[in-house]
Amino acid sequence: MPIEDVLSSKGRVRILRILADIGELNISEIARRARLNYATTNQHLKVLEDHQLVQHKRFGRIRIFRYNEENLRAKMIKQLMELWDK
Amino acid sequence: MFSHFSVFKDESKLDINYVPPSLPHRKAQLELLNQFFRFTIESPGRMTQRVLIAGRIGTGKTVLSQHFGLSITKKAQQRNVNLHYVHVNCRKCKGSFFMILQRVILRFYPNFPKRGYSAEELLQTLMQILDEKNAYVILALDELEALIRSEGSNPIYSLTRIQEERLKNAQRLSLIGILRETQDLDSLDPSARSTLQRNIIHLKEYLKPQLRDILEDRVTWSFKPDTVPSQTLGLIAEAATLEGGDARYAIELLWRSGKYADTERSKEVFPEHVRKATSSVYPVVRKDTIAELSLHEKLFLLGVARRFKLTDAAHISIGEAEEAYAIVCEEHDEKRRKHTQLWKYAKVLSALDIIETQTSSLGHRGKTTLISLPRIPASELERELSRVLQTEAV
Repeated sequence: MPIEDVLSSKGRVRILRILADIGELNISEIARRARLNYATTNQHLKVLEDHQLVQHKRFGRIRIFRYNEENLRAKMIKQLMELWDK
Repeated sequence: MFSHFSVFKDESKLDINYVPPSLPHRKAQLELLNQFFRFTIESPGRMTQRVLIAGRIGTGKTVLSQHFGLSITKKAQQRNVNLHYVHVNCRKCKGSFFMILQRVILRFYPNFPKRGYSAEELLQTLMQILDEKNAYVILALDELEALIRSEGSNPIYSLTRIQEERLKNAQRLSLIGILRETQDLDSLDPSARSTLQRNIIHLKEYLKPQLRDILEDRVTWSFKPDTVPSQTLGLIAEAATLEGGDARYAIELLWRSGKYADTERSKEVFPEHVRKATSSVYPVVRKDTIAELSLHEKLFLLGVARRFKLTDAAHISIGEAEEAYAIVCEEHDEKRRKHTQLWKYAKVLSALDIIETQTSSLGHRGKTTLISLPRIPASELERELSRVLQTEAV
């Protein structure tokens, strides 16, 4: 998926910002903070994870998502967001 | 705003949660704890430990454990061992195993979801997190009796046996149980009890000279020089000795006496301030316990206190408490909670040792919960609750 498609969704960008700020969160909390519903959040997270911008860990039934700081693209997007907010 | 002279230099050193840099008259017990847990920094992961600290109120159980926790984590850090000391008060967690485990997990994942799984799942999750982070935990369960009373043997059994299911993995979870009487363990089943009772540190009540030493330390840290005369300290130490060598009571008395001195704009804390403070500190039910209750728990308790003020009876029924609570709710413009919720409040307040509950026996029609208030005069409780509710309203 090209960059304009990945970042074309407000919801996805909001999720990226939340995870970049907070670090690690479960889906319900991401959805609450991004003001999205669970299913939409789940879909967005799938796209972001496919592009290795976020990662998840599973604890039993719980999935915890985190911003993938190790990925160069994710790192650059985070820098861009920080610069934008300055 | 105008300011006036205060006898205090730093009141926070008199706070109930303050951990002092040195513990007078508890060095031997501290050394014992260090010996019990030496392996956690010398050969982490090889084994786990369970230790009980027992003693009456104000004998320094909590502060001993916290002091040990701070020092061992510091030593572990120096050796690059990822060791965490987590202190959880079971009573503040309302005796819930789930809430206790949640507090431990929040240490590692501050945004971990707060609902949606069982305590057993949470324990498995905790072990997974510890493996993943290569971390070790010494979990101190303060006021362990609250957990035992509310959930019986299962939590202790699960905590002590969790390692047995993971023989190939490193041993990561050690326990310190803190409680007043070891007899509280009698209600545990034998297997849970046996795993806990191997290492017990008994703390004896402080003697008057020992209390004096503790008070002198606290005065140095928290009061301005020459504001607390020796005779004042002697009186506080004496009062606390009469309360069964209760150091916490002594420190609270010292703080309150200082407050009375400040109110009167006195440059020193005199014995008269101590006498005034003595009448305002109830050693068993403390202001921090009351302040931590939820709004409706407070309103319910206020109803109970008012009802007891009107009667000479030793017990009131939950129905009577409900009626009084309804009036309190009306006063505070709050929607009243229903019977089952109030019954739960009664259970919580009983677990916190503020009230006592028992089921009615012969002589009562039907079956009802009876409430008694054995530890604090109703009028004192009412005054404290009204004060707290007023402060919250502001």
